[in-house]
Amino acid sequence: MFTELAVRNVRRQIGNYLIYFITVALTVSLMFAVNNIIFNEQILAYAETMKELKSGMIGISVFLSLIVAFVLSYATSFMLRLRKREFGMYLTLGMTRKNILLLFNLETLIMGAAALGLGLLLGLFFYQGLMLIMTHLLDMDFAFAAYSAQGLILTIVLVTAVFLISSAVSARYLKKVSIFHLLHGDRMVERNVRRPGIWMILTVASFVTLTVSFLFFQEQIRASLLRDVTPGSGLFVSLMVFAAALILFHISLARSIVNLLLKNRRFCSSGTNTFTLRQLSGKLRSNSVIVGILSFLIAFAVIGSNVSFVMKVSERLALDREYPFDINANLDASVETSVGPDQAEEIISQYAGIEEVIPYTFYTTGASELHQYTRWSGASYEGLHDSLMAESDFNLLLNRLGREPVRLDGSFLICANSNVPQAAHSNFQDAALSLGGKTYRYQGMISDLPMFYYTYFFAVVPDEAVHGLTVESNCVAFRLKDADYDPQELRSALSYSYTSKYEDHTYERCDYKLKEYGRLQKNSTTAIFVIGALYIAVVFIFMAMAILALKTLSGITEDRKRYAVLYRLGAGEREQCQTLFRQTFGFFFLPFALPLLLSIPTSMVSAEIMTIAGFAGQAWEIYRNAGLIAAAILLIYLLYFTATYLIEKRNVVQSKG
Amino acid sequence: MKEILQVKHVTKYYGTGSVVTKALNDISFSVGQGEFTAIMGASGSGKSTLLNVISTIDRVSSGEIFVEGIPLSGQKENRLSAFRRDKLGFIFQEYNLLDTLTVGENITLPLNLKKLDHQKTKRELHRVAEALGVLDQLSKFPYELSGGQRQRAACARALITSPALVLADEPTGALDSTNSRILMETFVRMNQTLGSTILTVTHDAVVGSYTGRVLFLKDGKIWSEVVRGERSRKAMYQEILSVMAALGGDTDVH
Repeated sequence: MFTELAVRNVRRQIGNYLIYFITVALTVSLMFAVNNIIFNEQILAYAETMKELKSGMIGISVFLSLIVAFVLSYATSFMLRLRKREFGMYLTLGMTRKNILLLFNLETLIMGAAALGLGLLLGLFFYQGLMLIMTHLLDMDFAFAAYSAQGLILTIVLVTAVFLISSAVSARYLKKVSIFHLLHGDRMVERNVRRPGIWMILTVASFVTLTVSFLFFQEQIRASLLRDVTPGSGLFVSLMVFAAALILFHISLARSIVNLLLKNRRFCSSGTNTFTLRQLSGKLRSNSVIVGILSFLIAFAVIGSNVSFVMKVSERLALDREYPFDINANLDASVETSVGPDQAEEIISQYAGIEEVIPYTFYTTGASELHQYTRWSGASYEGLHDSLMAESDFNLLLNRLGREPVRLDGSFLICANSNVPQAAHSNFQDAALSLGGKTYRYQGMISDLPMFYYTYFFAVVPDEAVHGLTVESNCVAFRLKDADYDPQELRSALSYSYTSKYEDHTYERCDYKLKEYGRLQKNSTTAIFVIGALYIAVVFIFMAMAILALKTLSGITEDRKRYAVLYRLGAGEREQCQTLFRQTFGFFFLPFALPLLLSIPTSMVSAEIMTIAGFAGQAWEIYRNAGLIAAAILLIYLLYFTATYLIEKRNVVQSKG
Repeated sequence: MKEILQVKHVTKYYGTGSVVTKALNDISFSVGQGEFTAIMGASGSGKSTLLNVISTIDRVSSGEIFVEGIPLSGQKENRLSAFRRDKLGFIFQEYNLLDTLTVGENITLPLNLKKLDHQKTKRELHRVAEALGVLDQLSKFPYELSGGQRQRAACARALITSPALVLADEPTGALDSTNSRILMETFVRMNQTLGSTILTVTHDAVVGSYTGRVLFLKDGKIWSEVVRGERSRKAMYQEILSVMAALGGDTDVH
């Protein structure tokens, strides 16, 4: 009997909860796609040496499932509350609470199973699409990706867990609620807001806090780049303050702006403005906390996806800066090297054709005169010594990089590490070097060269100045004929067992930096970040949209009555449609307004970070990506909004016949 | 007397194919300016259908209805909306005050729909609210009022546009006898002092006795008509009862 009743109820409810159902199905499809990626053989082969790829993805999947569980629990209990009069009626007819819970869970099970089925079906396609993006990010060849049983099982387990959690929440509600509350608890009680002026002040205050926390967040990032300050609790605190201010902003805005507008008699006496404002006022006030939370989720999605693209762009550029040549080594002259340049050349030639071997040397005076002009001086940096390179070596490297040679003419140059922005901010104007009885004055600084040497900066001096100096590092750069080799294999061939002096343990060490290996490593990290951020962003937006749509559609019955009165009082179909549009748009747009606006400062901050990091030319890519993200979010918003509005319009707007 | 409402040979069918119900069967009557008329009849006699077609929220199958000489059939939807807004006032059994709006906002809603200047709106609000005794309740929400107060607020809303015709659908249906009496006295005051033309649908003989004329419907036709003339309300009441006894059905007799 219950199964039959449950099937009938689901069929009856499906029209109203279509949006909820589709959202669950889309979320399941995304979960399925991501879980399949986690267990994809091709990716897994990749992930064997890059463990973070797999653990990162599993982490994201579980985290997202928790978010989905929270939102679906909310949505399910919300649906339950929507039908409380019906359940109250069942109770008065003699059904037990257990019966009702069984009925509701059966309905949820039917809806969940159907959404799971549809989600898995959609997931088959989503997975291929996501694999296309993933292989592109990882620089792999895309081929039709095989589906994995483990991915399917993980999806089913996570979806089941999500539904069990939401059923538990419903059970808790049904166990506690009284029959009277079920039957009469939904009577609307409308009240005027007291002191809307104070709420307006709070709105402004929370907006200021919002701005300040965002600026503080930006400052933390800038400090970490410019002043070498490790971003710590400050970032977390600013993010938390930002979230709290965003929620408070929505709570106070719901109680201020609408009520202040209601005080404007001229505005209110025109058309259905009062009606719209009152409709919005009640809805915004009773939902202000959830609207604030949704706004934060969307803001998080906007910031997260923007940052992921910043990371992608900057890492691509950073690769060329970190790896000037295909293979590069800085071999410490004071330590006996296990794999010397000659041996390395022999090994490398077995994997890839060598076009040129470029040896170069770094020297040291054993002093730290030049460090006095930087922030890396004093007791904490006692072990640091100035490093020097001969002009001829430097010009050879410049020549291979396609740059003009330098002419020192009895002076010296500082080459600042372009990966450490603070290095370029040092002032060497008064610096001078006394070498071999001769004094060399400071000529200038170059800060845009790729990283030849692992130091904050080094000095380039005339060749005669390095005579007699201690060799600090014997370096070698290899230019390969083609980069089509297995970097992981080559790296292991160049590695050796190294026993640490202090910790007394042995590990594999490689003194050679392989550009291709670095690229793959960076790609995997970026791939996790980009896919993860986009996945989180899309799910957050789906969840936010589903809640907004559910909240809106839940008022259909009441709205139908109200619009029937409007109709009788002479509001035509067009006027009703306009009123309904304004009402729905106002409620839907509020949680979106700030996050969408946030795209502007987020992209500006991202572009600034890129500029600070030395990639000023790529700032346009950041703006373009931010625009694309905002457009994608807006598109999802428009789809949900349009669907919700059309369902509402069909049910609410009254017309003759 | 100027005729405000003319109903000419109106017929209304519901359903299609073999399941067709004739809700109104060739009905004709008219209501003059300043008249207070009731339509009575058993359930299913066609009272509500008649009110719906007069109020333009339903279409007639044949025949014609004129309000102030304007035919309702063939009018476009937006013109009908304007017609309802400008010419008709509605009072419903369940008050139909919007729960999200204050009493004042509810009453002024029809004027807002007309986009009347807010100063004039304010003056009109004061006029009708004072006449109907709800001046002190304007800033309250409907749930804060008693049933009688709510219905008076609904009357104020129906009258604020000074409509040609006020249509009331079982206006005392949700009220106790005291509030029903107060409301009917309000209707009489609206009719006599403000000159409103009122057409009400009711089951209740007491309500009918307050009016000047009662039309009795049976099976979609006008079965009988009682005119009060110079008689007392009590005499009118007695006559309504006797017609209802002859009419049969489930019409209320108090």
